[in-house]
Amino acid sequence: MIRLGDGAVERLRAVLREPDLSKTRYRLVGVAGSGGMGTVYVVEDVDLCRRVALKVLDVADGAIEERLRREAQVLGRLEHPGIVPVHEVGTLPDGRAYYTMKWVQGDRLDRHLAGKPALGERLRLFLRIAEAVSFAHARGVLHRDLKPENVMVGAFGEVLVLDWGLAKVLGGRAAVAPASGTDESAVLGTPGFMAPEQAAGQSGSVDARADVYSLGAILRWLGGAAPPAALAAICNKALAERPGDRYPEVAALAADVLRLIDGEAVSAHAEGPLERLLRLMRRHRVAVGIVLAYLAGRALIFFLTGR
Amino acid sequence: MNTILVGVLVGAALGILDGLTAWFTPEARADLGGIVVGSTFKGLLAGALIGLFARKVRSLGWTLLFGTFVGALFAFFIAQIQGKYYLQIILPGSLVGLLTGYATIRYGKSAAAVPARG
Amino acid sequence: MEEPLPRGFPATRHSALVAARSADAAERARGLEVIASVYWRPIYGYLRLRWRRSHDEAKDLAQEFFATLLHGGLLDRFDARRARLRTYLRTCVDGVVASQDRAAARHKRGGGSLTFDFESARAEVEAQTAGSPDAAFERDWARGVFAMALERLRGECEQNGKAQHFALLEQYDLGDQRPTYAALAERHGLTVTDVTNRLHRVRGELRRVTLEILRELTASDDEFRQEARALLGEGGR
Repeated sequence: MIRLGDGAVERLRAVLREPDLSKTRYRLVGVAGSGGMGTVYVVEDVDLCRRVALKVLDVADGAIEERLRREAQVLGRLEHPGIVPVHEVGTLPDGRAYYTMKWVQGDRLDRHLAGKPALGERLRLFLRIAEAVSFAHARGVLHRDLKPENVMVGAFGEVLVLDWGLAKVLGGRAAVAPASGTDESAVLGTPGFMAPEQAAGQSGSVDARADVYSLGAILRWLGGAAPPAALAAICNKALAERPGDRYPEVAALAADVLRLIDGEAVSAHAEGPLERLLRLMRRHRVAVGIVLAYLAGRALIFFLTGR
Repeated sequence: MNTILVGVLVGAALGILDGLTAWFTPEARADLGGIVVGSTFKGLLAGALIGLFARKVRSLGWTLLFGTFVGALFAFFIAQIQGKYYLQIILPGSLVGLLTGYATIRYGKSAAAVPARG
Repeated sequence: MEEPLPRGFPATRHSALVAARSADAAERARGLEVIASVYWRPIYGYLRLRWRRSHDEAKDLAQEFFATLLHGGLLDRFDARRARLRTYLRTCVDGVVASQDRAAARHKRGGGSLTFDFESARAEVEAQTAGSPDAAFERDWARGVFAMALERLRGECEQNGKAQHFALLEQYDLGDQRPTYAALAERHGLTVTDVTNRLHRVRGELRRVTLEILRELTASDDEFRQEARALLGEGGR
C-alpha cells in the first residue's frame, strides 16, 4: 500500500483540483481564490496575451454547473464598472464547466479594512457597492448573497461586486439557484448578512429589499464598533425585520448615506436640537473654527490691552 | 467657491463681528452703529484684496502674512482717523486679516483641501 | 435504479457499497474489502483519538467493527438519504464502542481475511499532535481514498506499459520535494515537453480513478457530489 504524508495529501488535492487547460487558449498561472461553487484561477490567455480569471467547478456536477452558467449569463447582462465583466463560458476537456472574466487585482473588502481606512472612506466604498447593486436591480437582477467577502476593492479604490452565483433574475423564468432538493438550496445566502425572509426560505417573496437588508449588514459592519447615531439609524432601518420597514430600494439607502457623508440630516434619524446644532457645527467646522479663533484672539487682546 | 468672493464674505462677516466687539469698550458703545458699518466695509475691502492675492499666489503661508499685513494696514488708517486706541484697533484688525487669509485658501476654488465627494 | 453519471466519469466498476450489501457472500467480501481498505485507517485513528483506546483495543475494535459490517448487516441499515457513508460509519463505530462498554465480556468474532498494517498506523497516530479527532478522520479518509486510487492507477499503468507515467507522478507529486521538469526529463531520458504531457495525462487519469473510487463508496449522486467536493473542493475542508 502506498503511504502518503499530510503534505502529499494536500498536494494531491490541489493537483487534482487543477483545471485541465489542454486544448484551451489558457495557461495556468496561479490560484486567485475559492468560493462556494469552485475555485478561481489566474490564467494567461495565450491568444490575447493577457491575464484573465477563470472560475471552474471543483467537480463536474449538473446542478452546480447550471448555477455557474447562469452566473456567467447574469454577469453578461450587467455591464457596469462595479461588476466584473465576463469573457467566455464553456466546458473544459475534463468535463467541468468554467467561465473566464476580467482578472481584478485587489483585496477582498474584509481584508481591505485591515488597513483601517477612515469612516468617510469606508462610507464612500459602501456607496460604490450600493451603486453596482442598484444598477443590477434596475436590470432586474437581485444579488442575494451580498457580504464583505463578495466585494473586491481594487488598487485605485474601485469596487467590484462578485459572486453572483445565487442571483435571481426578476421576471425571468427561474432563479439562478438550483431548484433541486439538496440541503444547500433550501436556504441560500450567508447567515448574518441574509434577510430574514430569505433565511426563512420564502424565496418567492424575496425582492430588492432583501439586498437592502444585506447592504445594511455590510454598512453596519463597515461602521465599526461605535458608529455615529445617524449611521446606526440608517443601518437599523435597512436591517428592519419586515421588508416594508426598510428602505424601499437601494438608491434610497445610498441617498441617506450620501447625506450622512455631506453632513446633512438623514431620513432614517430624527435628531434633537443639540444634535442638530452639533451636526451643523461639524459640517461647517472650518467656518465655526474661524469665528472661534477670532473670538479667542479678541478676548486675548482685551486681556492684554485692558480694553 | 470663487476665492475673491470668499475673501469678501469672510472679511465682511468677521468685520461685523469685529465691530460688535466694540460694545465691550464702554466709551465706544455710543458709536457702535458707525463702528460696525466702518468695520464691515473695512473687512470687505481687505477681504477682496486678500482673495485676489490668494488667487494669484496660492500659498497658505504668504496669504496669511499678506492678510495680517492688509488687516493691520486698514486698521491703522481707521486708528489714524480716530487719533487714539491704536493697539486696540490694529490688533483685532490684523486678526481679521489673518483669518480671512486662511479662509480664502481653505475655501477658495482650486485649493487642494476641498473635501472630495463620493 | 441506475442513474446517469455526470459527464466524464465512466462507471467501470460496480459500487462497492452495492456489492457489500449483496446476498452473494463473495460479492459481499469484495465490496467490504474496498470499503475497509479506505476506512480502516481513519477508524483506527478515530478510536485512538476520539475514544482514547490503546493500540491493542483500537486494533481489536476496528477488526471487530469490520466483522460486524460483514456479518451483522450494519451496511443494510445505511440510508444514503439520511447521511453520507463516511458519517454513518463513524456513527457505527461510536455504537460499537458503546455496546462494548455495556458488555464488558464481549466475545470475539473473527475479522475474516482482512488484515491491516496497524503497527505503522500506531506510529502515525502517536506521532500526531494537533487537530480534532473528526478532522483526523476526514484527513485519514482522504489519505485512504488517494492511496487506493494511486494503487489502482499503478496497476493500470503497469498493465498498459505506462509504468514511466506513474513513476513521473510519484516523483513529482508524491515526494517530499518537487524536482524540476528538467531534472525529471534527464532522469527518464525524455524531453521536458514529454514530461509535461505525460504528467498531465497521468494526473487526468488519477482524477478519473479517484472519482471512480468515490463513486464506488457512495450510494447516491448527491452523496457522490458531496464527497467529491469534500475531497477535491476548496470548500470541503
